Amino acid sequence: MLRTPSQIRWAQAALAAVILAGWELLPRFGVIPKLFVPSLSEAIGALYEYRAEYLAHLPATLVEILVSYLLACGGGVTLGMLIASSPRARRMALPVLRSAYAVPMVVLYPVMMVWFGLGMGSKVAFATVFAFVPTLLTTVAGVASLSPHLLETARAFGASRWQRILYVQVPASLPTLIAALRLGGALVIVGVTVAEMLGAVEGLGFLITRHRTLLNSPGVYGGIILVLVITSGHEVLLRRLERRVEKFRES
Amino acid sequence: MTQSAVSVRAVTQHFTVEGQSTVALDAIDLEIPPGQFVALVGPSGCGKSTLLSLVAGLRLPTGGTLLCNGEPIVGPVPQRIGMIFQEANLLPWLTALENVAFPLKLRGVPKRERLEAARAMLELTGLGNFADRLPHQLSGGMKQRVSIGRGLVQDPGVLLLDEPFAALDEQTRMVLGDEVLRIWARTGKTVMFVTHNLSEAVYLADRIIVFSARPGRIVDDVPVDLPRPRTFSMMSSERFGALKDRIWAHIRDADH
Ligand SMILES: Nc1ncnc2c1ncn2[C@@H]1O[C@H](COP(=O)(O)OP(=O)(O)OP(=O)(O)O)[C@@H](O)[C@H]1O
Ligand SMILES: [Mg+2]
Repeated sequence: MLRTPSQIRWAQAALAAVILAGWELLPRFGVIPKLFVPSLSEAIGALYEYRAEYLAHLPATLVEILVSYLLACGGGVTLGMLIASSPRARRMALPVLRSAYAVPMVVLYPVMMVWFGLGMGSKVAFATVFAFVPTLLTTVAGVASLSPHLLETARAFGASRWQRILYVQVPASLPTLIAALRLGGALVIVGVTVAEMLGAVEGLGFLITRHRTLLNSPGVYGGIILVLVITSGHEVLLRRLERRVEKFRES
Repeated sequence: MTQSAVSVRAVTQHFTVEGQSTVALDAIDLEIPPGQFVALVGPSGCGKSTLLSLVAGLRLPTGGTLLCNGEPIVGPVPQRIGMIFQEANLLPWLTALENVAFPLKLRGVPKRERLEAARAMLELTGLGNFADRLPHQLSGGMKQRVSIGRGLVQDPGVLLLDEPFAALDEQTRMVLGDEVLRIWARTGKTVMFVTHNLSEAVYLADRIIVFSARPGRIVDDVPVDLPRPRTFSMMSSERFGALKDRIWAHIRDADH
């Protein structure tokens, strides 16, 4: 059945159409109460109705995502590379980081609000902490699967530690890096949105919470649609990067 | 007495893995004069690779000292000692040419200069026409030629080869063996060559060092008094067979 790429693309489109149609029809015919899930057209209608409000709050969310992304993914990938490049650092740091991974970070958010206030600072801090460790661990796991022979060879030819990272580890682990960015980016978006929902004065999460308090479901789902758009934008960018990397590596 | 190209003096290497200590090398002494072609043979796990990694400066010995041209080896000195591994270990995203040029890149040699040097090496190893291929587009033998080119590109005085042809078929192995001999005769480098193949050892070397099973000790030091250039027909000569028998006797005794 699903063999050629075009067949698969058709199937994907069909699946998306079914989901969207279900979203529209099930609430409309009362299968799902509208208070829980408004129909797609109502959500889009709300998006249009409150467009000025959404547009006013979008920049704050985007800036928070961008800054957290740079901190969490930049920091997580760099530190992950460094830790992975030394067996001793790996043995020392990994158990600690794995335990840190298991801590439900949401409990930290109230503390961060105390430290950084209700503005962007606390959102950035929370999303960064939320995404940092998983990004780092994904990076380390990817680098660990790299053949030690390549690193040994580079060392035999006089590569310093930084040269080994730059010329061997980084190119060899580009696919992993993309996986790490994919995870880190998704977590940053979740982190920012959740933080805004829990306590904020602006941003999409803040709007979602406000509409929810007013029992305005279409308004809530309008905000969710915007978050989905951001997530998809991130995915599109990653796909592009992925294609570049594949070309670069050829095999 | 001329100075040795490589001196190994009372070198001992222990490894401790999870509290269990193994002695990989036990008080090894070895003097290799410049230009000599030395083969190292011995049962699996006797420490041949360990010895090469010590000479390459990839690790420091538990005991004893190693010298290259009279100077202590305390880390990799790729301009003096070139290394060729069993697997070609090429960087898969670099072309053959860039792989050969890689050691020069690490030293900061300008691009044009290093690619020129690398091209000369590929010519020398017979791969001139494959400079722009990626490793996965090359056969096993070709990859190993690239790896030899990379080992030679800095013109080191000492060349270390750790079972370089073990993953190749018999014919390719013979051809590459002759290739290494040709390059060696032309450049006069000192060579340390680890192999499991006794015929290969006798065919290539001036001298064969035989190791015992763990802990690795030198049990015989066999001069190979066959004339050069070596030829295929020598392999069926009586002298060739006698040398092989002498080495085989040690390895058989070690491995019971
Ligand atoms: N990094 C290491 N950590 C722990 N033990 C090691 C390490 N490297 C080598 N050894 C041990 O040292 C001994 C010698 O290993 P080595 O690889 O030098 O043997 P070899 O003579 O090259 O064997 P082979 O012919 O199979 O390649 C073995 O017992 C091996 O288990
Ligand atoms: Mg070995």
